[in-house]
Amino acid sequence: MKHLIAILALAASPLAAQDFSEGSEARSWNLYAEVPAKFDAEVVDVLCTLTGDCPDDCGAGKRQLGLVRAADGVLVLPMKNSQPAFTGAAVELAPFCGQQVTVDGLMLDDPELGANNVYLVQTIQAAGADKIKANKWTKNWAKEHPEAKGKGPWFRRDPRIKEIIATEGYLGLGLEEDATFIAENF
Amino acid sequence: MRSLLLGALAALALPVTGYAAEGTRVQVTGEIIDTWCYYSGVMGSPDAVVGSAHHTCALWCSAGGIPVGLLAEDGTVYTILKVDNDAEAAGGDTLLRLAAHTVEADGMLYERDGLNYLVVSDVVSDQDITNVNHNDYGNVPSFSIPDPNK
Repeated sequence: MKHLIAILALAASPLAAQDFSEGSEARSWNLYAEVPAKFDAEVVDVLCTLTGDCPDDCGAGKRQLGLVRAADGVLVLPMKNSQPAFTGAAVELAPFCGQQVTVDGLMLDDPELGANNVYLVQTIQAAGADKIKANKWTKNWAKEHPEAKGKGPWFRRDPRIKEIIATEGYLGLGLEEDATFIAENF
Repeated sequence: MRSLLLGALAALALPVTGYAAEGTRVQVTGEIIDTWCYYSGVMGSPDAVVGSAHHTCALWCSAGGIPVGLLAEDGTVYTILKVDNDAEAAGGDTLLRLAAHTVEADGMLYERDGLNYLVVSDVVSDQDITNVNHNDYGNVPSFSIPDPNK
């Protein structure tokens, strides 16, 4: 029995300490908790994985998607794509729903804040395909919002955001509070 | 002994792909936050990337499809996957309209690999923005309000 326990402990211990930075070409974002990480994974719909509520297309980029890492079965949550533009990862990963891919990017590791297994994906490579950059979000947004065409970043032109700010203000406390703050600070 | 061995070996069999987990019914009160700014520190300290100071950025990130969280009073962050019948947790309307609001949520909690996932069945109360912190931190990031003089 002692031998069995020792064997199981030896077999299990490398999983907890695996380093996925080997071979990573991820660019640093100078985030204090970032760790480069390249790994193979299956793209999954997180809601489906946890609850069994599973549309065929993983929600077509509207649900949060996950990466079930091949090496250890850990469900990694990709929060960001590679654009520094307040943009998530679901749109980038949705075309690969249910597929095995190799991703490269930055893991955030800050257990004190609760940041465990959360990820910024920079590149995605499906089996037999070229590696692509995870930077399609803004182009996708532009296609979906031809009426918002214009100068400046998408988040200044997004109709939903503009509508909320027009009624609730930048601070979310009403237009009067905004006016006071702007008068005092600009 | 044999069944113990088989069980142990089965537990070690890898990779373990997705599975439907058992959820726990919970009631949680907290602020609807932008998880990327909160976890990454890219815009400042955790206290600065919440509340009225960060309302506009929270809208940007929510509309941009970044996971939305509920920051509970005890500091636990719950990643929200669904609210009522709206499973569009990546840029959907329901979560966008709740950005920076304090809410009381009733739902199912699923814990997986160090993260807390929340499927909200009912927003019991929406208290709007209660964390008024812009006088302490300004607007975060500073460009979230366009300079009217430019």
